[in-house]
Amino acid sequence: MKSFEFFEPTTLAEASRLFAEEHAQLLAGGTDLVIGMKALTETPQSVISLQKIPGLTGITTEADNSISIGAMTKVREVELSADILQHHTALAEGAAEIGSIQIRNLATVGGNIAHASPAADTVAGLLVADAQVHIASADGERTVPINELFTGPGETVLTPGEIITRFRLPSPASGSHYIKHKIREVMDLAFIGVAAAINMDNGTIAEARIGLAAVAPTPIRATEAEELLKGNAPTPALLEQAGEAAAAASSPISDLRCSAEHRREMVDVLTRRTLEQASERASG
Amino acid sequence: MAKLPVSLTINGDEHDLLIEPRKTLLAVLRDTIGLTGTKEGCSTGDCGACTVIVDGKAVTSCMVLGVTASGKEITTIEGLAGDGELHPVQQAFIETGGYQCGFCTPGFIMASKALIDENPDRTEEEFRHALGGNICRCTGYTKILEAVLKAAEEIRTTT
Amino acid sequence: MSEYTVVGQTVARVDAVEKVTGAAQYGADVHPPGMLYGKLVRSKHAHANIRSIDTSEAEKLPGVRAIITQDDVPSGRRVFATDKVLYLGEPIAAVAATDPDIAEEAAERIKIDYEVLPVVQDVMEAIKPSAPRLHGDGTKDGPNRREISGEIRTLSRDKENDHSDAISNLEAELENYPDEVYYNISAESHTEAGDVEKGFAESDVVVEDTYVIPRVHQTYMEPHVSVASADSSGKITVWASTQGPFAIRSGIAGTLGIPLTQINVIGTTMGGGFGGRFGVIITHVPAVLLSQKTGRPVRVQMTREEEFTDGRPAPGCVIKLKTGATNDGRILAREALAFWDSGSVSGASIGSTIRVRGVYKIPNLKVDAYGVHTNKSGTAAYRAPGAPQAIFAGESQLDEIAERIGMDPVKFRLMNMREEGDEVPAGSSEPKVGYKETLEAVADAAGWWDREAGENQGWGVAVGDWTNGCGPGGVYVSVHEDGSVRIFHGSMDITGTDTAISQIIAEILTVPYESVTIRRGDTDSAPYSTGSGGSVVTFTMGNTAKLAAEDAHRRILELASERLNTNVDDLELRDGKVHVTSADPPKSISLGELAAYSLSTTGGPIVGKGSFARQASTPALAAQIAKVEVDPGTGRTRVLKLVASQDVGFAINPMAVEGQIEGGTVQGYAWAMMEEMQYDENGNVNPGFVDYRVPTSADLPTVESVIVEVPAPNGPYGAKGVGEPPITPTLATMANAVKDAIGIRINELPIKPEKIVNALKSNGH
Repeated sequence: MKSFEFFEPTTLAEASRLFAEEHAQLLAGGTDLVIGMKALTETPQSVISLQKIPGLTGITTEADNSISIGAMTKVREVELSADILQHHTALAEGAAEIGSIQIRNLATVGGNIAHASPAADTVAGLLVADAQVHIASADGERTVPINELFTGPGETVLTPGEIITRFRLPSPASGSHYIKHKIREVMDLAFIGVAAAINMDNGTIAEARIGLAAVAPTPIRATEAEELLKGNAPTPALLEQAGEAAAAASSPISDLRCSAEHRREMVDVLTRRTLEQASERASG
Repeated sequence: MAKLPVSLTINGDEHDLLIEPRKTLLAVLRDTIGLTGTKEGCSTGDCGACTVIVDGKAVTSCMVLGVTASGKEITTIEGLAGDGELHPVQQAFIETGGYQCGFCTPGFIMASKALIDENPDRTEEEFRHALGGNICRCTGYTKILEAVLKAAEEIRTTT
Repeated sequence: MSEYTVVGQTVARVDAVEKVTGAAQYGADVHPPGMLYGKLVRSKHAHANIRSIDTSEAEKLPGVRAIITQDDVPSGRRVFATDKVLYLGEPIAAVAATDPDIAEEAAERIKIDYEVLPVVQDVMEAIKPSAPRLHGDGTKDGPNRREISGEIRTLSRDKENDHSDAISNLEAELENYPDEVYYNISAESHTEAGDVEKGFAESDVVVEDTYVIPRVHQTYMEPHVSVASADSSGKITVWASTQGPFAIRSGIAGTLGIPLTQINVIGTTMGGGFGGRFGVIITHVPAVLLSQKTGRPVRVQMTREEEFTDGRPAPGCVIKLKTGATNDGRILAREALAFWDSGSVSGASIGSTIRVRGVYKIPNLKVDAYGVHTNKSGTAAYRAPGAPQAIFAGESQLDEIAERIGMDPVKFRLMNMREEGDEVPAGSSEPKVGYKETLEAVADAAGWWDREAGENQGWGVAVGDWTNGCGPGGVYVSVHEDGSVRIFHGSMDITGTDTAISQIIAEILTVPYESVTIRRGDTDSAPYSTGSGGSVVTFTMGNTAKLAAEDAHRRILELASERLNTNVDDLELRDGKVHVTSADPPKSISLGELAAYSLSTTGGPIVGKGSFARQASTPALAAQIAKVEVDPGTGRTRVLKLVASQDVGFAINPMAVEGQIEGGTVQGYAWAMMEEMQYDENGNVNPGFVDYRVPTSADLPTVESVIVEVPAPNGPYGAKGVGEPPITPTLATMANAVKDAIGIRINELPIKPEKIVNALKSNGH
C-alpha cells in the first residue's frame, strides 16, 4: 500500500472540503478502498474516514412507511432490518448477497453505491425501491434519483467534494425479490443480479419495477419490461415476455466469468423468476 | 507519512501505539503487537483467516485500517480461552476434528463464536451459509460444522 | 479392532490445543530481531525478452537494504530470469527493506524494459508449428519437438456425445494437422500392453471422447513463506513452510553450491500443502540470498495473488480416450493420448496418464502422453498428482459404455474390477485390495440400489485408485523416569501424522496416549526424513516409529530382566509395566522405575531407534457417489448427497482418516464444478479468491465417509496412505451425476452453469 495522509473529520463540511482536494478518497467501510489500495489500483494521497461524522448511520421508518438509510449504515444492518425486509425485500436480499458476514459487518450501503460497480448487490434493490440519493457538499445538499446516479463502471454524477449521506426509499412496494446469478452459494460476485418490485391491484400488476445489475456499464431499470407488465395479470406468458424484454434491454459484456450471451439469457430467466416471486409476495 | 496515535483494547489489554495509516488492523495485531494467531490467508477479505471480533462483530481484519479501529474493543483468538479453560468453540473443534492444518482455524473459531453469540439456535444449513466467509481447504467442512453445532448446543444449554 | 488399545481409536490430535488457540507457529509467525521484509520483483508479461533492469529509483527509497538479481547468485544457477521471461509473475529481482510496504514500493520502482513476445497458453495451440517456441532456438529442429506415430491421430472424437466447441475445434485442427511433429514438448511417456487394435476390433461397443481438465491450484491456506538468517560465519538458518525440510536443505545447498551442513532448515507448522509445498526456489532461495547480502534475517512471504501467478499448481490437460467393450460388459481395450500443460518448465505428472486403466482388467492398453510448454508457471504435485485428471477421463467413459450396453454403472465396475493375482495392465500382479468391498460399501451407504431421482436430479458413481509412496525416515523414542515417553523425529506433520506416530508408539509401549509427547527436530538435529507428501508419512514414519518402539521395548525387557533377575522370556510389557508372567503373587515393575534404574546401568537410558526406507506399498481405492440437482434454467448444480468410501487398510485414528476422506472429496468436487486457473495472453487472469472459486461450507452438504479396512501387508497395523486417494474419483463422480441429471455429458471441467445451459440448449431445451 502506498502511504497517504489520514483524516477523520467530525463534520460533513470538513469532510467535503477535504474530499474536494485532488487525489482524495473517502473511506466508509473500507472493503473496496483498502483492497484497492493494497492492489495499487487506488493510490490516494489523502484518505478521509467518514466514521466520526454523526448522523450518517441508521435506518429510520417514517409514518408513511418511507425509509431512510444512512449512507454509513452497515450492509449487515440493512440485511437484518425488519422494516427493510418487509417493505423492500429485494434490498435486504441483495444486502445479504454481499461477501461474507465479516465483510457485511464492515461494508456500508453508501460505499457499495458510491463505488459504482455495476455488479453491486444492493443496487438493484435500491433501483426498484426508487431510492433518492441524498448528497451533501460544501455548497449544500441535493437529491438524485438512484437511476440517474451512475454514468459508467465506477463513475457517478458525484462531483469533487460531494458525499452521499443517505438513501430515501419513498414508496414501499408490496412485493419484491432479488436473485443473483453466481456459482458459489456465497462469496461470489454477481454474474448478474435482478430485482423486481411489484404492486398488485385486484389481480393485475399496478406497478412494476425491474432493476438489473452487471448487465450494462451501469445498473439499469428494464423500463420496457415494466411497461409490458402494467395493468396485466402476472401470467406465465406475460412474465416470459417481460423476461425477454429485460434481456433485450441489457447490454452485457463477456469476461472471465461468463459470456455476454449467457448473461443475457440469465436476465431473461431470472427476471421471470424474480417477477414471479415478487408478484406472489405482492398478492399474499 | 507520519504515524498516528491509536488506542486499541485487545483481549482486555490497552495498547497505545503510533502506527502508519496504511497499516491494516491485521498488520498491527501481527507485526506491532505480536499476536500472530490471527492469520493472513488472502489479504483481500475473501478467506476469513484474519477474522477478529471488533466491538462484538466479526470482521476481516485485513480490510480494516488500524487507525480506524482506535477506541474499539478487539478480541483475537489469543483472547478466547480464559483461566486456563478453552472456550467451548475451541473445545468443540478439538473434539470433532474440526481442523487439520489449522491455518484457517483461528478465523473459523472467531467467526463461529460471533455467530453463536448472536444466535446459537441456527440450523446446520444456516450455519453453513453464515460461515461462507471462511475458507478451509483441508476438512471439506463436515467436521467444522459438527464442531460449531456442538459448541452452539453447549453454549445454549449452559447459558 | 479390539486387539489394540490406542491404534484404531479416535484421539484428539497432539497439536490440538496450539491449533485452536493460535499458538501454533506458522512460517509468517517467525520474527527474529532485526528482520527485514523481502519482496520479489516479477514479470509483468507472459512472454518477453528483458532488455534492461534499472534499480536506481528503488535504491533511493529510504529503508531499502538490498536489491538482488541473477548477478547476485554466486553459483550461477537460475533463480531469477535474466534475458527472457516465460510467464507473468516470473521473478526477476528481489528487494529487502525494513518494512513490507517499503519493500513493495521498491519492487514497483524497479524499471524493467521488455520486448514483448507472442504468447501461447493452450496446449493444443502450443504443439502446432505456428506456435511461439518457449525454449531452444525456435527452429523446427529445436529441443522440444517430438515425432509421433501416425495411428495416434487416427483417434477421432465421438461427435454425437460431445458438446464443447473448444474440443470440436481442436479435434478438427488435429485431424488436419499437417506435420508429424509436436512442438514445445517438455516430456513424453508411452506405455503399451497387449494389442489395442485387436481389442477394439473384437469390441461390440467402442466409445471415444476428449476430456479437458483445467489447471487448478492446491490452494493451501497459508501462502508460501520463508525466513532466512545468514550469520557472519556463513551458517544459514531457514524457517520454512514446507512439506520437506530435508529436500529444502539439499535444494538450497545445490542451488547456492554450499555444503549441506552449512544450512539448517526448521520446518514451521504447515498451513496445508497438498503436494504444492516442496518448491525450493519459490521463496526460500531468495530469502537466503537477501539475508546473505544484508547480514540480517529476511522474510519472503508470497501474497495470495503471487501464489496464483507464481505458485506451482496442478497441470491441466487434454486427454483423448477410446474404450472398447463387449455387450456382456467386458472391457477389452483402452487407448489414451494426453497433452499435459506443464507450463514453462517440464515436470507435469504426465506419467499418471496410465491411471486411465483404473482398477479394471483391461487386456489391451496403450497410453501416450506428452508434456507441453506454455507461458505459465511450472507445475507441481497436487494430491495424487495426475490421477484425478486421468481418472476423470477413464471413469466418465466407463459410464458411457455402461449406458450403451445397458448395465448398471456399479455392477459394470464390479464385474471388471481386478482381483488378487490378476495382471495389472502394463503392471505386475494385483495384491489383495478391497476394490469391490469399497465400491459395494459406498453403494450400500448411499442407497444406490434403491435410489430415486426427482426431476433434474441424478446420481453418479466413480472410483479412483492410488498407491502411497514410501521414503526414508528415522525416529528416536526415549522413556523418562516418570514413565512418560518422548518421540523425536524430523518429518513434517501433515494433518495428523504426528498423532498417528504417537499412537503407534503408545500402543507398543502399552502406555496411555496422553503420556506420549512428540517433538520435531530441524535438519541439524533430526535424522533424515522423507518429505510429507505422497501419502507417505503414516506408512513410512508409522513403520519407523514401530521399529523404534520395538527397539525400546527390547531394552525395557532387558532392563526388567536385569532388575527383576528374571529371564526375558518370562516377562511381558502390559499397561505400562513389565510383568513376570509366571509370578505368584504377581510381580511387576513400572516403566518409570525401569527408566530411573536405567540411568545407573552399563547399558544406559531407554532409547529406541527406528530407521526405515523402503517397503512395497499396496494400492488403495476411493469410491464415491453423488446425488445432484441441476437447475435447468440457470445451470446451477446443487449437491444433495455426497458419500465417500475408502479402503484405508487400517484406520489408526478414525476421526483423522474421515477428515482426509471428507477433505479430499471436497477438493475433487471443487475441481469438477468451480475451480479453474484462467489465462489469456497476459497470463493468469483470476489470481484471487473472487474469481478462483474455492468452495465454502455453503456449497456442500455433509460428506458421509465410510471406512473400509483391507489391511496392507507392509503398512503399520495394515495402514495405507489415506491422504491422496479421496480426490481421485470425485471429478468423474460429479460429471457422471450431472450426466444422469440432464442426460448430457460435459467433458470439459469445471462444469459451470453456463456450460450446462449451453448443453441443454444444444440439445433442444
